[in-house]
Amino acid sequence: MKMKDGIKTKNIIVKCGADSMLPFAIIFGMVVILFGSVSPGGGFQGGVCVAAAAIMIYLGYGTKTAKEAINMECIRVNEGIGAVIYVVLALIAVFMGANFCFNTLKFGQIGDMLAGGTITFMSYAVGYKVLTGVGFLLLMMLGMLGANDEEEEEE
Amino acid sequence: MSYVHFPVIAVMSLFLGAFVCAIFGKNHDKLCKAVGVLDAAWVFALIALIVKPVVFDGEIISYWMGNWSPIKGWAIGIGYEIDALGAFFALIVVFTVLMSVIYSIRYMDRDDDIYNYYTLLLMMSGSVLGLVLTGDVFNMFIMIEIMTFTAVGLTCFRNRSFGALEAGFKYLVIGSMGSSMTLLGIALLYAQCHTLNMAQLASILVNNTTPTSVLALALMFTGLGVKAYIVPFHMPAADSYAVAPTSVSMVFSGMVNKAGVYAIIRLVYILFNTMDKGSMQVLLTAFGAVTMFVGVTMALAQHDFKRLLAFHSISQIGYVITAIGLGSALGVTAGLFHALNHTLFKGLLFLCAGAVLYATGTTNLDKLGGLSKKMPKTTICFLVGAFSIAGMPPFNGFASKWMVYQAAFEKAVEGGHIYFAFITVVAVVVSVMTLASFIKVTQAVFFGQCPIELQKTEEVPFSMRLPMWIMSALCLLVGVFYDFVNKWFLAPATNAVLNATNYIDKMMGNGYAAAAGVENIQVAPAAFSFWNPLTWLVLFVVVFAAVAIVILTGKKSRGAVLETAENVDGKYATFFGGEASPFSHVSGSDLFWGFKKDWKGYFSFMDNLHSGIVNDYALWVVVALAIVTVWFNVFMK
Repeated sequence: MKMKDGIKTKNIIVKCGADSMLPFAIIFGMVVILFGSVSPGGGFQGGVCVAAAAIMIYLGYGTKTAKEAINMECIRVNEGIGAVIYVVLALIAVFMGANFCFNTLKFGQIGDMLAGGTITFMSYAVGYKVLTGVGFLLLMMLGMLGANDEEEEEE
Repeated sequence: MSYVHFPVIAVMSLFLGAFVCAIFGKNHDKLCKAVGVLDAAWVFALIALIVKPVVFDGEIISYWMGNWSPIKGWAIGIGYEIDALGAFFALIVVFTVLMSVIYSIRYMDRDDDIYNYYTLLLMMSGSVLGLVLTGDVFNMFIMIEIMTFTAVGLTCFRNRSFGALEAGFKYLVIGSMGSSMTLLGIALLYAQCHTLNMAQLASILVNNTTPTSVLALALMFTGLGVKAYIVPFHMPAADSYAVAPTSVSMVFSGMVNKAGVYAIIRLVYILFNTMDKGSMQVLLTAFGAVTMFVGVTMALAQHDFKRLLAFHSISQIGYVITAIGLGSALGVTAGLFHALNHTLFKGLLFLCAGAVLYATGTTNLDKLGGLSKKMPKTTICFLVGAFSIAGMPPFNGFASKWMVYQAAFEKAVEGGHIYFAFITVVAVVVSVMTLASFIKVTQAVFFGQCPIELQKTEEVPFSMRLPMWIMSALCLLVGVFYDFVNKWFLAPATNAVLNATNYIDKMMGNGYAAAAGVENIQVAPAAFSFWNPLTWLVLFVVVFAAVAIVILTGKKSRGAVLETAENVDGKYATFFGGEASPFSHVSGSDLFWGFKKDWKGYFSFMDNLHSGIVNDYALWVVVALAIVTVWFNVFMK
């Protein structure tokens, strides 16, 4: 994320807090996604954690910066890609002769990150879809919230 | 690849099509259209291939996701189960989608961002297809949710047009209430039975009626009734059908409310196996009769082409609910037949309304007129649809409505109930009013005088007429070869509805249903006759009596002072001379002004009910839930 000079911030404390927590939120969400199939959590929960980073940007820098920093169109397309990956992973089983969603990729020791086989990658696909989808949703909602704020600032 | 995989591939193909449109579709309208048509055609082919084994040969496909078959008699995985009933409705769904996407090629030309349209449409189709194919109640709820929210999106698609956002909001609120009730019902069932599989639930619930299961039935019945738009829940339907793009209105009436009907059939016949109870039959037929009557009378009062069709759609769903509520083999056959026919003729009528909208830019009946010379082909298609819905003999509507009357009347004769005789009369009267209403529409849109603004109207392009021709042809063919349809499609589906044991055994293992005590309702094949001279004689006597009553009771007003523009308000004055203007366009939408005037009390009452306030509509849903709950608690134990 590029930081340009001259960005207005509302409050230095909130900005510093957002700055320092942002990487942790993203990394924590990513860990929840990556170990989703073998530990509590999973794609959906981790995806929501990552998407919450969008709120931190909004809190620290306001709607305008949040919108500039994140490419909404790119997120929208990537949500579709996540869904397609999930369906394709589930359909692999059908073409290998088993039923839909069957666990066809069996490898890894029990307890490993990849021990779940297909389920692991399905969980990643869900995580990707949710972090893009919920992120898009949050940005849309924040955009509506921020519409009034910007008018006030201009005044 | 074995055909057992086809149902799940069909559902996933529709979802994949939706995602492809979302990813690549922006600024590539042609790609979206191609994906839509190819996807729908491919899915239609897949479902057509499972029709032979499932519907014709009577096999039931049981498909466990990820090969998680039941362990020790407990269903732990999600299963798809396709019997003749599911395949019959799946065929209706994929046919509707195919017609809709072909129609959309040109119809959606004037809208922008149509990748959103195709994403939502394909996703909604996939969810409805999943709903009719699934054998798991929670999976069914997920599909209902997807269906509801995509339907809201499609309702608001033309959000610059008048009322679109309002209709979307109403749909969102009422639809969410329905979903929530369904979810609560499913949660209660899960708490009681510890399974979500429909086959296993059916075997557990059969001899195990507890207060919890009765409440679950009430909640699920109301929730699914919202999805089928039976009467206290019909208000958002009228709005959303009217403002959605017409290809979507056609899909709403063709498959979205059929999904609700399918779910109700599944609920009352298979899951709870309650249709042998008289109280259940009375409740369903009462809902159906009220739906029929309110739908058609509201339609008579409308001034908007699509809104009028929406109310007719509600009215026809009333026929279906009444027929399946009779609980007899003939009733179920009639209900399924009318569901199929409703998809055909109401889809056709909506497509004609869309053609008029495309050609003239309006659906206001007061502004239309005389289009038969400008759009002759559309007029022919519309007349076919109008004759079908009104129940004219060679077309399909006649065959299925006749079956409904016969089923209701047989029920009345068998049990000696005056109530079912009354239902029969309501059904016949509603059919007459449907005909009256369509005379009005035909007169207002296609005949009469052509307003000066519409002089340059042109016929719609071929790709829009093609689905109309196909559906017109099917209306006629199904009506003429009703025996063929009955033998090959309706009889297997009826059999599937009434014999829950096969459904349970196929999913849970042989002998499971017998161990749980589920019994088949043994049925003789539905027999119905059309050209019985005696029935015709009775019909003529009844019609003669009705005419005589009307003539005799109308005696008082003979010789009364003619109501003219001077002594009544101007609204009813259009039919009388003495107006200042030499040219008075006799508006077809007021063709039944006399009827409306006589029924002023009823119409103003209905007008107050349809207040347009979402809180009122939500209140109606809650009131209906309360009535249904009390009814079940009193009569079901």
